[in-house]
Amino acid sequence: MDCRITLPPCWVGANEFEDALRRSDTPPHDSRVFSVLIEFPTQCKVMVDAAIRLLSLANQLDQCTKRVRLSFEEGETGTMGYLNRMGFFDNLSRGVEVIPDWPSTSGKRRYGGRNVSLVEIERINRNHRDEMLPTRLTDSIMRSCGDRQDAPDLNGAAWTIFAELIDNVFSHSDTPLDGYAALQVYSGGGHVRVAVSDSGLGIMQTLRPALKSEFPKLAGLTDAELLVEIFRQGVSRHGSNRGCGLKGCAAKAIKFKADLDVRMPRNRVQLIPAHGTYQVNTAYCQNELPLLWGTHLCFKILLKA
Amino acid sequence: MFQDTAEGVIRVSVSNTMQALEAPTSETIVLKEFMSGASQGWGREQGRLVYNRLLTFVESRAGTLIFVISISGIDRMDISFASESVVEVARKFRGSKGFAVADVPDADMLENLEAAAARAHQPLMVNKEGRMIVIGLQPSQGSTEAFRFALTHPMVRAAQFAAAAQMPIANASMKFKQLWEQGFLLRRESVAESGGVEFVYFRIA
Repeated sequence: MDCRITLPPCWVGANEFEDALRRSDTPPHDSRVFSVLIEFPTQCKVMVDAAIRLLSLANQLDQCTKRVRLSFEEGETGTMGYLNRMGFFDNLSRGVEVIPDWPSTSGKRRYGGRNVSLVEIERINRNHRDEMLPTRLTDSIMRSCGDRQDAPDLNGAAWTIFAELIDNVFSHSDTPLDGYAALQVYSGGGHVRVAVSDSGLGIMQTLRPALKSEFPKLAGLTDAELLVEIFRQGVSRHGSNRGCGLKGCAAKAIKFKADLDVRMPRNRVQLIPAHGTYQVNTAYCQNELPLLWGTHLCFKILLKA
Repeated sequence: MFQDTAEGVIRVSVSNTMQALEAPTSETIVLKEFMSGASQGWGREQGRLVYNRLLTFVESRAGTLIFVISISGIDRMDISFASESVVEVARKFRGSKGFAVADVPDADMLENLEAAAARAHQPLMVNKEGRMIVIGLQPSQGSTEAFRFALTHPMVRAAQFAAAAQMPIANASMKFKQLWEQGFLLRRESVAESGGVEFVYFRIA
């Protein structure tokens, strides 16, 4: 059975990516599907959070031995060129087919580090801990908006957010597939998107089994409620002294009124800050989504004008 | 006299009775030297590695009660690293050895240290531009005055605070004991004028 995912001919962020995924007749991870086609029509412009979710999805499907095709209607002149410059194809499994063809040269190697408005996808591999990864990603933000009034605060906050999220991938992602981190400053929209994806079990799958012994009061919470608690009070499968990383990370992001979007294997929660914290009553939750392994986080950090 | 605790505490207790009224000296730990020279600390794995090195070092200094951890030369430190290294070593030796932090480069790192200490319910003294502040666990309202009193003296007995605050000695003694148990102060056993056992409390600074 074939699965066809068609992205819309406009800016594609996580929302548009999810809509397209749900519109496909059969979910791509369905065991009956053996071939998946992802279409990027003319005028389709993939944003950074959608880009690394697509990358993770394509690599997961290839790992499951499905035939995966990415079809770019505009070829390298369109969103494919942009994805190439950010290193999408450097990280894409070689088994994935690209239509019209794989790019002849790696845009990341050609432009790497020199294009101030573009940020590259960085690989997160638990077996090769890259000490400077949080710094490289943060420097990328600062190259784009280092002259802003709030730049020093943003610098520290962004570094901590990257360090904690990357470390979280090391802790929770038990998978041979790499995780990815990327960010982009959208000057027109006045915000930065900071996205980290992994293809592991998912934050809930590793936390839930420990809840009964460590946090019995939280065991009855829904995924959305539990996710709010992870970022609000800190919850860790390793006990009450732990879990401060994601909580602190959220506290930094909230200073910049950051929305947080978390995609888990079957559901997705969007947290909007209110009264200096994330709250359940301002969380949007979507359940029973098509399967996408791992945890995919995106902070949308607002920049001062 | 001999308590069933760490070797260092036993030795200190023995020596206390002999040289009762001497404030403990401190030793500086340059954290960067425990990080293989790295200028950034992030993640639990690196934190645990540094913790093990700190533990070995601190255990080798049986006579030292107070360690000042200098962050000098470290540009960045995330919450997970701070939690697993600096805060964990302070928590491990709570009540027997004290740890203060100095040379924190910016507000961001201080905030990360604070988040880690608060999570572990561990107070951590920080030398901020020559002024000592407590981050993480804060003293309870009832013992804040006793803590302030202890901070202004190199060493203090419950009787001194009781006289100054005009409260019963038992009450003052309870406050200091609580501050010691929670990790705000250190103490040594001493011989009271009456001949009984009395504790002398020390600030971690």
